Amino acid sequence: MFKLDRKSLLSLSLVATAAIAFTACNSDAEPTGSMTVNGKATIDGAATYPVVNGKTSDYYVNESAHKPGKNYGRIPTANELKAWNTDVTPSKLPPMGSGSVEDGEELYEAQCLSCHGDFGSGGGGYPALSKGNAVDLQKTLTNNRWKDPEADGPTRVFGSYWPVASTLWWYIRDGMPHPLTKSLSVDETYALTAYVLNINEFVIDGVEVDDEYVLDQEKFSKIVMPNVDGFEPNIKGPNALEDVRAYYANAKNFGGLNLNQGAERCMTNCIDKDATQEAASASVVGEVPRVRRIIGVGISDFLPPMSTVRDLPAEDVAFDAKAAYENVCAMCHSSFLAPGSSDWDAYTGKGMDKVYENGINGTEGGMPPMGTSSFSKAEFKSVVDYLVNGK
Amino acid sequence: MDKNIIDNAQDVVSRRDFFKRAATISAVTASTVLLADGADDPAIMHHVPWGQKLGDPVTANRYGVPSKYEHNNLRRNTKLLASGNFQASIAVCPIHESMGIITPNGLFFSRSHGGTAHVNPHEFRLMLHGLLEKEIVLTLDELKKYPSVTRTHFIECPANGGQEWRRPQFNSVQFAKGFMSCAEWTGVYIKDILADLGLKSEALWMLAEGSDNSEMGRTVPIDKVLDDAMIVWGQNGEALRPEQGYPVRLLLPGWEGNLCVKWLKRLKFAKDPFYAKEETSRYTDLKPTGKAIQHFYANEVNSTVVSPSPEKPWTHLNDGDIIEIEGLAWSGMGTITDVDLSFDGGINYVKANLKGLVLPKCWTRWSYMHTYKKGEQLFLTSRAIDDAGYIQPTVDQEVGIMGVEAIYHRNAVETWEVTKTGEVNHVQIRS
Repeated sequence: MFKLDRKSLLSLSLVATAAIAFTACNSDAEPTGSMTVNGKATIDGAATYPVVNGKTSDYYVNESAHKPGKNYGRIPTANELKAWNTDVTPSKLPPMGSGSVEDGEELYEAQCLSCHGDFGSGGGGYPALSKGNAVDLQKTLTNNRWKDPEADGPTRVFGSYWPVASTLWWYIRDGMPHPLTKSLSVDETYALTAYVLNINEFVIDGVEVDDEYVLDQEKFSKIVMPNVDGFEPNIKGPNALEDVRAYYANAKNFGGLNLNQGAERCMTNCIDKDATQEAASASVVGEVPRVRRIIGVGISDFLPPMSTVRDLPAEDVAFDAKAAYENVCAMCHSSFLAPGSSDWDAYTGKGMDKVYENGINGTEGGMPPMGTSSFSKAEFKSVVDYLVNGK
Repeated sequence: MDKNIIDNAQDVVSRRDFFKRAATISAVTASTVLLADGADDPAIMHHVPWGQKLGDPVTANRYGVPSKYEHNNLRRNTKLLASGNFQASIAVCPIHESMGIITPNGLFFSRSHGGTAHVNPHEFRLMLHGLLEKEIVLTLDELKKYPSVTRTHFIECPANGGQEWRRPQFNSVQFAKGFMSCAEWTGVYIKDILADLGLKSEALWMLAEGSDNSEMGRTVPIDKVLDDAMIVWGQNGEALRPEQGYPVRLLLPGWEGNLCVKWLKRLKFAKDPFYAKEETSRYTDLKPTGKAIQHFYANEVNSTVVSPSPEKPWTHLNDGDIIEIEGLAWSGMGTITDVDLSFDGGINYVKANLKGLVLPKCWTRWSYMHTYKKGEQLFLTSRAIDDAGYIQPTVDQEVGIMGVEAIYHRNAVETWEVTKTGEVNHVQIRS
């Protein structure tokens, strides 16, 4: 895989041998059986492959791979490019179209509310889309709970935090609604975007996005996000990469800790015990400065529960249709997206076999095949039975 | 028994008696090798059941599976790390059971934003377009015609350890540090494909987009594309697992896992960045200044003690036992050069030893032999250094710059308390 010529292998082993001999007669050596290769402590002759000049690619051996002229694949057609070149960015607006807040609200209640909550307030682990007025909430971004854990934290939702609006339009069209993505039309995407702007109390070009508002491409292009300047490093313009490189060359920008070249790192008395013991809430254990502990048992709802026991597994438990329903099906079937337990008369008229068939094969614009599950057909039917009859 | 008596007795036994006697003896020897007394280990003194019957035929597992006794070595979840369902979620790697620097494919951590997609390889297409002299579309077979390289790299979610800015929350190394895994990847350097296609000089950014439910996309600077960015289809000697983006994912060695877009369908080259959803709503780090870091790429130098850990306590040790303290170190910026170990929570350090291969942007295993004193309380803190010149900060050094609202890229030193009875607890040392 890597180049390592005979000569360097030989010198490595000479160094290693010398290091072993040295360690053996030096009573100050660490009692760990360690040796040294190329100046580095190793326990088994570990071979080090460094990064050279910031690049890992110096190990590259197949020089002919760089040479052009392979001509694999084919040139995409204009239609193929049009089909996939659909990103929406600040410099590439959404397609022409329009949608109203009113239509957006109707769509939202039908397809989004079950996850994102009333007026985008979130819930059940799904992201909130609004917490109120975007301009006001942007001011909370300097809140930080290190000194005072009881203080209010920052509010990071679309309106208060995201730097550009194109992200929202693009993501709604391609990634939403979560169980049935890429099902919304251009106008529907405008309508939902308008609704999200409405609940975040946006003003576009001096006009409030009220309940009567209709969003289109031109208005969309004029959205200014309250937190547009809230991000670093700069990634805009022809010098963006220089700005990015300069930013990450300074460890202080991102919380890194740089050892100055050649400087020795601290090995003894590295923490100022006196300073850290001053704090009123100090809990000092022996010589150790303040120890922060997990509150109670912490987060421990692990699935499956933590165990390192090497025993025989419990006998395979019978397939649990109720648990399967709750894990896979309930997200839609307990919401407005799909029929729940009380709606089945309209579907069972053609017999249960038809219900099974629709579930297994999927229905156009509705049920995805097998509900995207990996159940066997028999298991799937038992889940359908549970959903239709069981509750 | 007197030897003569035995001899005499055997002289007079009939053939029938001999077989009767032999049957009685074999009934005993069938289960025991020798007569045992209480000091002898039954596991040695008895024939083991698997030694006295035929094992499985070699045809039994056409694709091998672990011993059924290893059934607890699993990826695990918690509802805290799920956006309402287990499709937009993460399953973390049991690094306390890991050996060496390779994660077996079935245990590689799995994170997705819309569930694991199952891509039909015959319908897989990869399009490279935008600011190129020549735009192309490739089938999987055509992609694999490029000269392949094989590299060992970790992939880490930048939220690894991100639940613990304010205090530790997981008494578990699997959950505290297991948002990562390491594998040997096979694929092609993107720069080799670009040598064929011609990258236009005004191209500064590349969009990588997946074909999954979430159409996961991220913007990558051209610097990385022209360094070591790969398109990979092989993982530890076999095809990528579906959880890792079968048939093809992007691999940006050392950089945030979410940048290594899975179920890849499109690479677009452009002069402006793309502001994809997962680079604005997520994967940005809010600082106390109110400004947030966007495009936070490389996972910084990091390390953890793996044994002991909350999952691997020292409750079984005896006074004076010489025991190996083992851990992992890794850096997305380069190669690990040193790992230090502290027994007092970071006041004093000793040098630990690196083990095995020490590769760039790869898990590096390290070791320290310790003589255990029964009843001692320890605070084990590891600290790694990489050849990019970075060292892990203390908790307060990192928080002093980043505050506690950041979520991602937390690489301050981690500490396990070993109690007097050998239990291990996750703690955080203010410094």
